[in-house]
Amino acid sequence: MSVSTSPTTGSLWRAGRFWIVLGALVAVTAIIGVALAPGAREARRLDPADTSLEGSKALAELLRKRGVTVDRVDSIEAALAKGEGRLLLVTHTAYFDWQQLDQLAQLQGDRVIVGGLDGLGVLAPTITPESESARVRSREPECDLPAARAAGSAYLGGELFRGANGCYPGEKGSALVQAPGEGGTVTVLGDGTFMTNQYLAEDGNAALALNLLGTKPAVTWLVRPDQPPTGSLAGPGGKSLGELMPATVPWAVLAACLAVLVTAYWRGRRLGPVVAEKLPVVVRAAETVEGRGRLYRARRARERAAAVLRAGTIDRLTPRVGLAPGAGQHEVVAAVAVRTGQDAHQVGGALYGPPPADDAGLVALARYLEFIERIVREH
Amino acid sequence: MALTGRAALVAAVGIVVVLLAPEPAFALLGWLLVLAAAITADLVLAGSVRTLRFHRSGDNLVRLGQTGTVELTVENPGPRTVRGVLRDAWPPSAGAAPRELKLDVPAGERRRLVVTLNPTRRGDRASASVTVRSVGPLGLAARQGAHSVPWSVRVLPPFLSRKHLPSRLAKLRELEGQHPALVRGQGTEFDSLREYVVGDDVRSIDWRASARRHDVVVRTWRPERDRRVLIVLDTGRTSAGRVGAAPVPLTGDTGRAPLESLAPTDQARPVPGWPRLDWSMDAALLLAALAARAGDRVDFLAYDRAVRAWVSGASRTELLTALVNAMAPIEAELIEADSPGMVANILSRAKRRCLVVLLTDLNASALDEGLMPVLPQLSSRHLVLVAGVSDPAVADMAGRKDTAEEVYDAAAAEYTRIERRRITARLRRHGVEVVDAAPEDIAPALADAYLALKAAGRL
Repeated sequence: MSVSTSPTTGSLWRAGRFWIVLGALVAVTAIIGVALAPGAREARRLDPADTSLEGSKALAELLRKRGVTVDRVDSIEAALAKGEGRLLLVTHTAYFDWQQLDQLAQLQGDRVIVGGLDGLGVLAPTITPESESARVRSREPECDLPAARAAGSAYLGGELFRGANGCYPGEKGSALVQAPGEGGTVTVLGDGTFMTNQYLAEDGNAALALNLLGTKPAVTWLVRPDQPPTGSLAGPGGKSLGELMPATVPWAVLAACLAVLVTAYWRGRRLGPVVAEKLPVVVRAAETVEGRGRLYRARRARERAAAVLRAGTIDRLTPRVGLAPGAGQHEVVAAVAVRTGQDAHQVGGALYGPPPADDAGLVALARYLEFIERIVREH
Repeated sequence: MALTGRAALVAAVGIVVVLLAPEPAFALLGWLLVLAAAITADLVLAGSVRTLRFHRSGDNLVRLGQTGTVELTVENPGPRTVRGVLRDAWPPSAGAAPRELKLDVPAGERRRLVVTLNPTRRGDRASASVTVRSVGPLGLAARQGAHSVPWSVRVLPPFLSRKHLPSRLAKLRELEGQHPALVRGQGTEFDSLREYVVGDDVRSIDWRASARRHDVVVRTWRPERDRRVLIVLDTGRTSAGRVGAAPVPLTGDTGRAPLESLAPTDQARPVPGWPRLDWSMDAALLLAALAARAGDRVDFLAYDRAVRAWVSGASRTELLTALVNAMAPIEAELIEADSPGMVANILSRAKRRCLVVLLTDLNASALDEGLMPVLPQLSSRHLVLVAGVSDPAVADMAGRKDTAEEVYDAAAAEYTRIERRRITARLRRHGVEVVDAAPEDIAPALADAYLALKAAGRL
């Protein structure tokens, strides 16, 4: 007689209700948490409006407290529009092309350029970069620049430069170089980490930053421009990838996902259980003997192998030549020599002689023993 | 619930439909709803699996190497036809075929399905469950459910040494005096008196009886009967080693080569054969069949560190059935056999003097530590016969001497053979009979040893 073992809807609910309720609770908590949390934003390094560890809002606030106007701009045009006679801080030169940097170089006034070797020839022609860079760490100024001497040690490193006034030296060159330019002084920094919110309070970082940026009543802070996502970038035809794609494709992708799910369920559903069974061990009885043979082989145990082969042969020969087990060496040799017609000296050497000197000798001995045995067996 | 390939195909067609539709969002939603509705309808209209009733019949006993059949009757009391597939889940070594059966049972009817079993291993095999997948009329989705329909099949040892039984029975009949040359000797007992016929040995004339009866009367003798034979099977670790070539392939007998790193030579490894245990069982069955015909009582004990099987007092006709049933589930245990415990068990079970046939491995180190210290207790009260299956692979290794590597292997094999000869000699000094034979020869060799003991009257 048969009994159904499939779970019913009721038994499934009874077995799983705790986990269903727990899962629902976790999901609700997660949804509420996500809904209440502020929108996560990408950290913008050295941005005067960014409050994350990478940003520089603290420095901007300090400058404003000292009466310095800080204007955040994210394009060359905006920077040019702010006019001359201000301090220009460029944090990411790599985001602008040569033409834009050339325009920027026309702007008269002091400049501070952070990191990056791009555009250095245009913005700071008197300062040359070194081929090597240094680890970013706390360094001593070791120079006569008042701004650096007043600040003391600072968290600097990165790219190294050579120029008129070098401070915070690495092995080759300096991490801070100030040189007079066409319309004002040009300062190049190897790394801007000391100006971030995270490091500003350490060492003389804040003092150095304020000394460098607080020289003019206004600062034009040029940050990197916003990058639109790659998919919506316009191509040569003026249309982005998303606009070129037919409107049905995203929905078809959704339909394909659905088809994959259905296929996975079709193939994944098993017809009945996997039946396991305890299997007996499979071990050949001769394995221990083979292991012993390998040991002999590995150690080249000729003495031992020869002794064993001789003992086996003598064991078998003794009764065949009419001797009692445990017969003496001379009796055995004499009896075997008579029976086989071989030289007694040779037989004695094979049965009781010294162990063979090499593997070839061992093989020869084994064959000779076999030969004697065969003759005794056949005659 | 289960889906079919047709449902996956319908879902895949949906991709094209959505691609070409003017309103893709609505097309996708519509397609989804159609698919869901069709699947739901299929599930609702499929025949119920839960209400199915199953009955089994067929073989309960199968000899290893033979094929058995189990019939499964499916009864559908529900209102709808159950159409689909059925799987009767057996363990892999039961060798059940086919894996899936087509099922089509109209409402209120029953159908009989046949599963053939071709087991590859001794022991009890039980069906785990019967699973039915009942497909709906559209063929998109199916109801699936499992039923427990218990049935187990006992796979018996094959008793391949049966073929040696007729020749050994002929020898036994010679002993029993159906042969004309009957003389009194050791191992015979007085049977009856009968009239002298020409050709009888004059030495067997009973003169006293002849004088009373006024006729010449001879005594007849027959071999001793109603002796006891206790067959003891060692199921410890040494019985797990595989030797010889398996006459019936067992599970796990794959001739696969070992890992490259473990094989320093590229010679093909021999296929592992049968465990010593199975060869010993074969020999024990032949001995038991022979002893039962000879009128002796046969008991059977399987022991490693505990009693694995015990058969006692079975009648002559039921003995073999009882033995194969007791032997079927025994597997070699990977533990050292407890010889003192085994001897104590034998002594407590065999009160009267009997022939104790111990089927074990003639392994010098195992016997030295286990059996040898306690052997005198056993051999002082009983006649002991130790039978061991030798390994033909070792003899093969000892014979090959072409390269230095082979000579080292031959030396190792020779060492094993010397140890075996020494332990055999020591056992014989204790008054123990020893039978040491290759796997194919162990059963007839043991039977011959038994007949020799019987002829010599040593039982």
